[in-house]
Amino acid sequence: MKKHMVYSIGRFILLTLYVLAAVFPLYWIIITSLKGPKEIYTMPLQYLPTTATLDSYRKLFSFSSFSLYFRNSLLVAFLSSLLAMAVSILSGFSLSRYPKQRTKGILQLALYFTQTIPTFLIMVPIFTMFSKLGWVDSTGALMLVYVATVIAFSTIMSKGFFDRIPVSLEEAAKIDGCSMFQSLLYVVLPITRPGMAAIFCFAFINIWNELFLAVMLLMSNDKMTVPVALNSFISKAGISWDVMSAGIVIALLPTMIVFGFGQKYIVAGLTEGSVKG
Amino acid sequence: MERKFYRWMLVPAFLFLTAFIYYPVLRGSVMAFQNYNLFDLNQLRFNGFDNFKAVLSDPHIRFAQILFNTAIWLFGSLFFQFVLGFGLALLLKKPFAGRGLYTAFVFYGWALSGFAIGLTWAWLFNGQFGLVNDMLIRIGLLSEPIGFLSNPNLAMISVIIPNIWYGVPFFGIMLLAALQSVPNELYEAATLDGAGSIRKFTSVTVPYVKPTIVSTILLRTMWIVNFPDIIYAMTNGGPVNRTNILATQMINKVFKEYDYGQGSAIGLIIMILLFAYAMLYLRMTEKKGGDTL
Amino acid sequence: MKHPMTILLVLCTLLLVLSPAFAAGTKEEASGPVTLTFVETMTSPSRTAQIQELIAKYEAQNPNVKINLVSPPYEQADNKLTLMLNSNQELDIIEVRDHTVKQFVNNNKLVDLTDYLKTWDQGDDLLPLTMTAATTVNNTPYLLPQFFFVKGLFVRTDILAKHGFTTMPKTIEELYKMSIAITGKAANQYGFGFRGKGSAFKISDILILSDVDNINVDNIYKTTDGSFAFSSPAARKAVAAYVDLYKKAVPSDGINWGFNEQVNGFISGTTPFLVQDPDTVSMVAEALDPSQWTVIPMPVGASGKTYLDYGFAGLGIPSTSKHKDLAWDFISFMVNAENNADFCRAYGPLPVHTSTYANDPYFSSGVYKSWEIEMSNPATYVFVKYPLDNPKYPAWAQVQEQTMQSLLLGSTTVDQAIKSWEDYWK
Repeated sequence: MKKHMVYSIGRFILLTLYVLAAVFPLYWIIITSLKGPKEIYTMPLQYLPTTATLDSYRKLFSFSSFSLYFRNSLLVAFLSSLLAMAVSILSGFSLSRYPKQRTKGILQLALYFTQTIPTFLIMVPIFTMFSKLGWVDSTGALMLVYVATVIAFSTIMSKGFFDRIPVSLEEAAKIDGCSMFQSLLYVVLPITRPGMAAIFCFAFINIWNELFLAVMLLMSNDKMTVPVALNSFISKAGISWDVMSAGIVIALLPTMIVFGFGQKYIVAGLTEGSVKG
Repeated sequence: MERKFYRWMLVPAFLFLTAFIYYPVLRGSVMAFQNYNLFDLNQLRFNGFDNFKAVLSDPHIRFAQILFNTAIWLFGSLFFQFVLGFGLALLLKKPFAGRGLYTAFVFYGWALSGFAIGLTWAWLFNGQFGLVNDMLIRIGLLSEPIGFLSNPNLAMISVIIPNIWYGVPFFGIMLLAALQSVPNELYEAATLDGAGSIRKFTSVTVPYVKPTIVSTILLRTMWIVNFPDIIYAMTNGGPVNRTNILATQMINKVFKEYDYGQGSAIGLIIMILLFAYAMLYLRMTEKKGGDTL
Repeated sequence: MKHPMTILLVLCTLLLVLSPAFAAGTKEEASGPVTLTFVETMTSPSRTAQIQELIAKYEAQNPNVKINLVSPPYEQADNKLTLMLNSNQELDIIEVRDHTVKQFVNNNKLVDLTDYLKTWDQGDDLLPLTMTAATTVNNTPYLLPQFFFVKGLFVRTDILAKHGFTTMPKTIEELYKMSIAITGKAANQYGFGFRGKGSAFKISDILILSDVDNINVDNIYKTTDGSFAFSSPAARKAVAAYVDLYKKAVPSDGINWGFNEQVNGFISGTTPFLVQDPDTVSMVAEALDPSQWTVIPMPVGASGKTYLDYGFAGLGIPSTSKHKDLAWDFISFMVNAENNADFCRAYGPLPVHTSTYANDPYFSSGVYKSWEIEMSNPATYVFVKYPLDNPKYPAWAQVQEQTMQSLLLGSTTVDQAIKSWEDYWK
């Protein structure tokens, strides 16, 4: 019992220390967003705003159509992640069950290979390709690109989830008369639902925060996404920290929510597949 | 019959990849062998390995320094991300009151965008108006502020810290999940065999979690090398080239100098190095057949 | 729900297949209003709002024209515009900057505006400097400049007074002396708002080269007799003095300061002197009381002169535009004396018409008086050009930053640094 107590206290201290270290940047951003422009640059440093104000947030929404960009990002991230998730179900399952080892190995290599590619290398070719197709300034085209950027990792993750599910389940289903597709759909998939949620979360967070492709491939101001909007607060004369900090806080909310939900599923998803019968 | 079905299932994913990744990579790679400089595109022609030679032998921005920086950036970040991530995962493994909250606070860093993190930490580490200096002075650990980002010897460490902060959540989540998937029966059996906690850790936990560790580390390696956002926002590669990694130099070439030829050359170098590293790594960690995450 | 997963998969496949359909970008119809696409590159949220006001004004006067404003973020904007031009996107009005005009002309992307300017009734009202800027490349006007960015010296008068200084520095030497005198490390008080990274040479060049007497106005890095500017003995001394300034009046962190930290230092009072462009005025005005600060003309160097680089940005017409005449109509509207003055008043930089300086009290009083002085005394405030058409220019910023930082940190000597610069420009 005593050992347990020591362990609990030790854990509490360590975790709290880490939480403090992890949270203080966010704290700084939040209080900066609550200070007025005159207070942001004062010395000595103000750890608490002397007069908390929501002016920066007001400025953010009235001044720069931020709510429109927010909606754009929500749409883009949500749909792309959904599509990526759906596609990765197919590819992950297939890769997991693929009979020929050699091809399987090569395919996996091809997937890992995509992770070595710097975005800047493909930025210009994609832009040139899209401009020939007339797809510049298209939210739909951007979503397709985003799916492509996350599909490799999504497939790897998906394969991992399916690996944990014993083939015996599908075989049992087959014996019961299901086709390959049906067994995937009705037997295997329901078990991996948490895993799929996890893939959705990963994809969502990555896409939500993506900057460079969005800047390059979109044109009209009303199609901008949140990272682009935040980046536009940097101008020749400097960074407008009042709207920037407010923007960062607002931009963090959806990812935190998705992440909050996702955590449970990611952990559950990665554990559930293990053999319990 | 089965194989056909599986092949069809792979088509959507690889369609996306081919159209938007593989094909553009090929086109991008071609630029590395051309004198593709936006300053004057009239004289566009193939210039063999000139771009590579220029990058490798630049007298002002030494390539050796860039490689060295990239290595430190990678291994420094990776090591601490892993150790802290693993430590946190171990602490969060067993349920306790408030665990959900702790998990949220400890892992949220990953939900932020790289450049927002860079800008914030640039301010936090500022020699004059930075929180870090201010707090260290108030506690009494420092008597006068340190130029974290302007001291060539401290700059790299100062950019690695936010990267660690950013990367721990990924490791933490992956390892937490892996740890929680270790079947309890194995631990029970080990206890019956008389194993203590350390023994249980080394002979039950670690082997079971190893495949996850191996793939997560490989992925993180590639992501860290291709992650210039934080450095770019904090020091732009300085001071004196000491935080310039391959990826940030690539940004410089592309965005500031409009030299897509040399920029693409650097991109190819990154890809080749990472790929070679991955091959070596996988061979060394001896993956058997299928891998698990 | 019978087959939820199937439905999901079918939906997603549909999405996949159909997205190219709604993927097509906005295409205009054959009839109806003409849409012009206007790309700005010096984006900032407040500036974009002002441009939109002007656009609304124009559209009200010209109901058959719509202007579609594209505002990429400042840091990527020039690059993006270059990509768009090179892939022949349909653009009609673009913002051209001093360092992008040569590149656009090289790639044949800009329309020669000579004829348009000739028939413009306000053409004669433009400052001589405006025409010089417009004809930067090949002596042909490829853009119509909208504003000028010229450095001024921002001063925290209250901090100066606190340290017993009531007169403003007239020479660079005085500026250095004051900065060093004010610096008290213990009190976290420093003297000079240093720029360590991000085109730092724009500031250091003024302070160093203004000591040299015979700089060539067409290329700041050369003297009138053709030798390299930094090699002259006066420049050598000035470089050493600059390093000395860093050691004695700037926090060591200054080597990593960009424009953001410079402004931060000024507003917080840590560094009471700041060399910056007029568009910084609104930022500073928002954070400080008018009694706390002012702007004075740049102090002169040992040559009795100050060499100022006139940064500029303006509007041009891409050669691929299908509505060139209409584009010019809009450009001449944006840059007419009245709108230009309004815009500059709100955004900060200096306007381009002679009449504005003569008639508008805003630009000849208050803090803007200093810039007016700089613009109208060419014997003392000499405007010089950077070698923008030299293909080595784009890479210069990074090279200069490296060597200068090395120099400031003491890992290289003044002579070595100057030699490496000379070798670079050979």
